[in-house]
Amino acid sequence: METKFRVVLGVIGADCHAVGNKIIKSVLEPLGIDVINLGVMVSQDEFIDAAIETNADAILVSSIYGHGEIDCVGFRGRCVERGLEDIILYVGGNLVIGKVDFEDVEKLFKNMGFDRVFPPSVDLEEVAKLLKADIVKQAAIRAEADFLEVRLAG
Amino acid sequence: MTIVSIDIGSTWTKGAAFSLSSDGTLALLNRASHPTTVHDLSEGFSRVLGGLVGHDDEFELFYSSSAKGGLAVAAVGLVPELTSEMAKMTACSSGAKVTQTFAYELSDDDVSSLMLSAPDIILLTGGSDGGNSFYPVRNAGRIAGADLAAAIVFAGNRSAKDAVARILQGKHLVCTENVLPALDSPNPEPARAAIRDIFLTRITSGKGLDRIVADTGREPCPTPYALYEFCQSLAAHAPELGEFLLVDMGGATTDVYSVHNQAPTPGTVHRGLPEPRLKRSVEGDLGMRVSAITAAEAAREALGSVECAISDLASYAAKVKAAPEHLAGSVEEQHFDELLAGINVATSVMRHVGRAHEVATADGVVTVQTGRDLSSVRTIIGTGGYLSHTREFSPAIWLSQIGVDRHGKRVLSPRCERYLRDPMNILPLLANVSRGFPGAAARAAVNLLTPNQPSKPPLTTKVLLAQ
Repeated sequence: METKFRVVLGVIGADCHAVGNKIIKSVLEPLGIDVINLGVMVSQDEFIDAAIETNADAILVSSIYGHGEIDCVGFRGRCVERGLEDIILYVGGNLVIGKVDFEDVEKLFKNMGFDRVFPPSVDLEEVAKLLKADIVKQAAIRAEADFLEVRLAG
Repeated sequence: MTIVSIDIGSTWTKGAAFSLSSDGTLALLNRASHPTTVHDLSEGFSRVLGGLVGHDDEFELFYSSSAKGGLAVAAVGLVPELTSEMAKMTACSSGAKVTQTFAYELSDDDVSSLMLSAPDIILLTGGSDGGNSFYPVRNAGRIAGADLAAAIVFAGNRSAKDAVARILQGKHLVCTENVLPALDSPNPEPARAAIRDIFLTRITSGKGLDRIVADTGREPCPTPYALYEFCQSLAAHAPELGEFLLVDMGGATTDVYSVHNQAPTPGTVHRGLPEPRLKRSVEGDLGMRVSAITAAEAAREALGSVECAISDLASYAAKVKAAPEHLAGSVEEQHFDELLAGINVATSVMRHVGRAHEVATADGVVTVQTGRDLSSVRTIIGTGGYLSHTREFSPAIWLSQIGVDRHGKRVLSPRCERYLRDPMNILPLLANVSRGFPGAAARAAVNLLTPNQPSKPPLTTKVLLAQ
């Protein structure tokens, strides 16, 4: 089945929490989002490899064990290097240890180049809506860019 | 009922006649061989056939042929660890020799090196179904623009198929299902069958093989393809063998087959492509004669300076490469052959199996595994010229020395507790019979395989003890 929306999902770093991703997949798929679940202990390159091969629209990074910051640093840069400069990047979970305001966490990860950052507890249907909207928007931006290129060339 | 099996190899055409009794037991009647008549294969074939059965005898015939030691396939994929790896694995399982592997977009240099090596087949893959179509289409364009005589098997993203077919029209192109339709479900079989079919048309065209087909009304099977299928059949019909690893070592290549069920292990996380139950890998740089020089280099790398005779080994390798029919004469030469064989077995098995390493996580220590874990496999089967004929050789000592690789990762190689030798080098012939009588052929193989009891301590043990 070829769906309109396709995302790569995984738990990053040395994190072995396998359950959350299965839940995310089970919620997103009936909503028309094709989910490639890479499981646990996924490296940045494995996310990117899978996204290239499947032509995914977005990468959803989970991190539950508190080391999200160290695992995610440089992710956007690696995407750019490997030709996925405009892929949508989401991250969510227990991203940092200790009592830190979520606003600060969000800022931290957005500065790293993630498009959206989610707290430990979130309505997945809401996430699906945002995801679809972001993908559609991104496709429009890309089409516009192609058009511009043609116009400039013409 | 009489069954005749003949294998047309690059140097020898070998055959055997078996009688199949009503209870399904296969007994060896006689054997025959003749140097392969390269100008007209049917000549040597008829000689062998004539040596096995009389003119008016009724018999059923199975035969195989290797095209100049295997078909050269170049594997083109997208991501090195995903479709490129899958393309390589698929080509190996179809009996081919993978000469080159490419990832991402083919560069000008890649295209020139393709033209230089002139493979028989290019296996073009890339993208899961509905996934990336940019690279497979772009690479089809690069191949179309090059002056290449190779047949092309396209087994990439289904959505890219029409564009690829358009671009490559006029070339010998076969489109099959994707080798990796989704990242967690490898699908090598359709591409494998396509490669075999091209293999067949290529090996049967000319050289007298078409005459054999006309005379006998039977199609040949590519030799390595038959052996792969036979391993599958051995696992099914001879369960007493258990999980096993089979090494087929020739003068030019060392092929490794392993049958293993990868069960999930608690505390172990698997990364990378799922492993097939039966896997074949082909090492074109490891062999006893034609590939002796590269094998000796592998020996130097593995043994380093501990092996005092290593420079003599290099000159021996040069000598036997120049004269592949050379048989070791002196004790020293036998020692060199044993060294080459041991290194070939150890190196090819190391390349065949997976790796594991430990990672400290917030949940404690976790083992991360890539590739297949054969550390529970205890049965090794040896076939091919040297392994078949050398009673004194055992892979046990060589395999036992495999530890960690240069990245500090554990090599998940088998231990050799039971070494079964194919003393008559008959597995390739039984593999042919297996196409018609799988159960009988598998049982015959088990009966003909000899548990190896070295009659004297291996030479190498002495060397190791002397260090």
